Amino acid sequence: MLNDLRQTARQLLADKKVDVVIGYGQADPAGPAYPVFITRPEDTEQLVFNDRCYNNLTTFLTRKEIRAMGRAAVLVKGCDAKSVVVLAVESQIDRQSVVVIGMACNGVGQPSLAKCRTCDVHMPRHTDMVIGQAADHAIEAKDRYAELAEMMSKSASERLAYWGQELSRCVKCYACRQVCPMCYCERCVADKNQPQVIKTSATTMGNLAWQINRAFHLASRCVGCDECTRACPAGINLRLLNLMLAQATEEQFDYRPGMDKDAQPVLGCFSVKDKECFIK
Amino acid sequence: MSETQTKHDFEPKIVAYVCNWCTYLGADLAGTNRLEYPPNIRILRLPCTGRIDFNLIVKAYEMGADAVLVSGCHPGDCHYTSGNYHARRRWMLFRVLLEGIGFDMRRVHFTWISAAEAKKFQEVVIDITEQTRALGPYGDFRKLLEAPVC
Amino acid sequence: MSEVISARALRELIGGWLKAGIRVAGPRRVATDQVAYAWLDRPEDCLLGGYIHPHNSIKEFFFPRHESLYEYRIEGKKIALKNPEPLADERIVIGARPCDAAAMPILDHVFNWDFKDPFYNRRREQTTVVTLACREHDHECFCTSVGLGPDAERGSDVMLYELDGDMYEVRCVTDKGGNLMAGRTETSQLTGSVPPGPAKKFDLAYLRETIGSKFESPVWTEATLRCMACGACAYTCPTCHCFDIVDEGNARGGIRAKNWDACQFPMFTLHASGHNPRNTQPQRQRQRVMHKFSIYPDKFGDVLCTGCGNCTRHCSVHLGVQTVLEAAEKSWRNATV
Repeated sequence: MLNDLRQTARQLLADKKVDVVIGYGQADPAGPAYPVFITRPEDTEQLVFNDRCYNNLTTFLTRKEIRAMGRAAVLVKGCDAKSVVVLAVESQIDRQSVVVIGMACNGVGQPSLAKCRTCDVHMPRHTDMVIGQAADHAIEAKDRYAELAEMMSKSASERLAYWGQELSRCVKCYACRQVCPMCYCERCVADKNQPQVIKTSATTMGNLAWQINRAFHLASRCVGCDECTRACPAGINLRLLNLMLAQATEEQFDYRPGMDKDAQPVLGCFSVKDKECFIK
Repeated sequence: MSETQTKHDFEPKIVAYVCNWCTYLGADLAGTNRLEYPPNIRILRLPCTGRIDFNLIVKAYEMGADAVLVSGCHPGDCHYTSGNYHARRRWMLFRVLLEGIGFDMRRVHFTWISAAEAKKFQEVVIDITEQTRALGPYGDFRKLLEAPVC
Repeated sequence: MSEVISARALRELIGGWLKAGIRVAGPRRVATDQVAYAWLDRPEDCLLGGYIHPHNSIKEFFFPRHESLYEYRIEGKKIALKNPEPLADERIVIGARPCDAAAMPILDHVFNWDFKDPFYNRRREQTTVVTLACREHDHECFCTSVGLGPDAERGSDVMLYELDGDMYEVRCVTDKGGNLMAGRTETSQLTGSVPPGPAKKFDLAYLRETIGSKFESPVWTEATLRCMACGACAYTCPTCHCFDIVDEGNARGGIRAKNWDACQFPMFTLHASGHNPRNTQPQRQRQRVMHKFSIYPDKFGDVLCTGCGNCTRHCSVHLGVQTVLEAAEKSWRNATV
């Protein structure tokens, strides 16, 4: 698998089909892998792929510094492949000019991350090629959102207190935003101050306002790569916020972001039949 | 009506985000018709429900609101053809997020009120004010607002 | 001869402080796999060992991430200002790691060289730092590379060393620490020691000498292109101290606040004209590392880093002072051969 990957990358660079391959490197086998940007065929030996390859590399496709390097090939796991679909649907990348190398993946992390335990895209979809083999098994919708059940069994007041407690640790480093492939805005609303919609202060309220904003701007767009949760230095389980909206999107609109490249994005359209039982 | 009005211990603050073309005109009509409604409501006019950013709802609570009303044109009546349809879809999801985080959903109200429905506007405002008064101040949220940093 | 205290007595002591109205902060489990320095409500919540490094640093208790400088009210054409009440309570930070405590004298320079920051200084005066020497380290720790170590006393008022049998040796470093522990310890023959810290990751002397002339080095781009431009490194760092002054309020009044800021945000240096002098991420990473190992040391002598490793530990792309300097040293030494 690793040889195939390096061979593919080498060929893409040698044939000048791409200028840069965005992949994973790893200096210390005991440490995590991290993104590397390979521009010369001979450097492809640096590429690795294993269960420490956490990053969603598609975030780099919209970065100024990386775009300046030219045409890119990008390594994706099944979950990351979904963000390529959303980026293309939202016209953030020209899908034809990016080479997407899918990597069959049996889950990352030791033990596996929460997202991997309910993953049904071990084989990446909508890629230009897939390297390796992995078995996909269907996951029932309710299992995807099992983690929410416990929280939703609490009272509203307890839930608000829980989030207040969790978010009191948030320092507003914006790691959740920066690692997110869907957070590609040139200038985030949190960085605008005329008017200042969201306070820059890392108070509990300021943090809550920020996280509501982040979660809802990702509503029906979040592909569930969980990079925000992994990147959070304060260990806040942001995944739960994303899951709430993913569940509602699937239940109400039968839509899972990044799964179907031809489906219309939920918040980009409407239906006159949308249910409105909550509107008086 | 003013004779029957009693003094209350708690006067809720209610923020209403309304669209310019329907609900705002409905409120206006309520005024010209001399329909009385509680002064607890603070009306903020926006061009369209499609423009009512969800952050505004959060902001209202942050600034001490005890309840929020969001209101616009009935489906099919939008001045901009489809702004309210887009808004409706957004609220369908946004309510889920608010509920999951633990907002008191009895303090978030969505209605359609047309320019002709002055009576409905009056009823909605009375209804929400009474409901919120019964709920009392939004104490759970105040706790978050006052949480200290170090 | 040494002074020791049992774990039980130490917890009782913490309980006593809390009862006396002293605010006590220490490492505390805040989530299943998260330890943070936080205010304690109960002595049993305080971890006295069994963690490498909390996810934050003790700078939060001296230089909080959000702090109101004053309140203002606008009444007609008049503006009324109100200063916050000066901090009155006594504070203790217990279980600090030596790398966190060592950051305090470093921050003292910053908050006192020109303007003497009354908020910071007041907190420093009111707070006693009790440090727990390290018996373990992880891949990210590199205190030994910046001249500190698992039992460095710098910045601490009291040092605790774990002994066998749930005992701690107590070494008072300052008078403040001595007063805090006076009469609380027993004399013993046991003395604490710590295993050697992490192996040196880079040659500080070489880097200090070289870095000033390496502003244009290609290594900055090579080593930092993957930076995600968040502030996780700066906000978990014990020595990063940048802040922003913001007004928060409405037409009637509000507060002027001091909030943390980080040099990795593109917004940090963005001019009103739209020009950004640090326009790419590698330029911003270069700034961070050069500030720590060139700009600050040129001014104050010390390096602006205590080797806690939090930057690398909390980085989503495994990038921090350590990884950048390792790459830089390798590249610069090869270039000169």
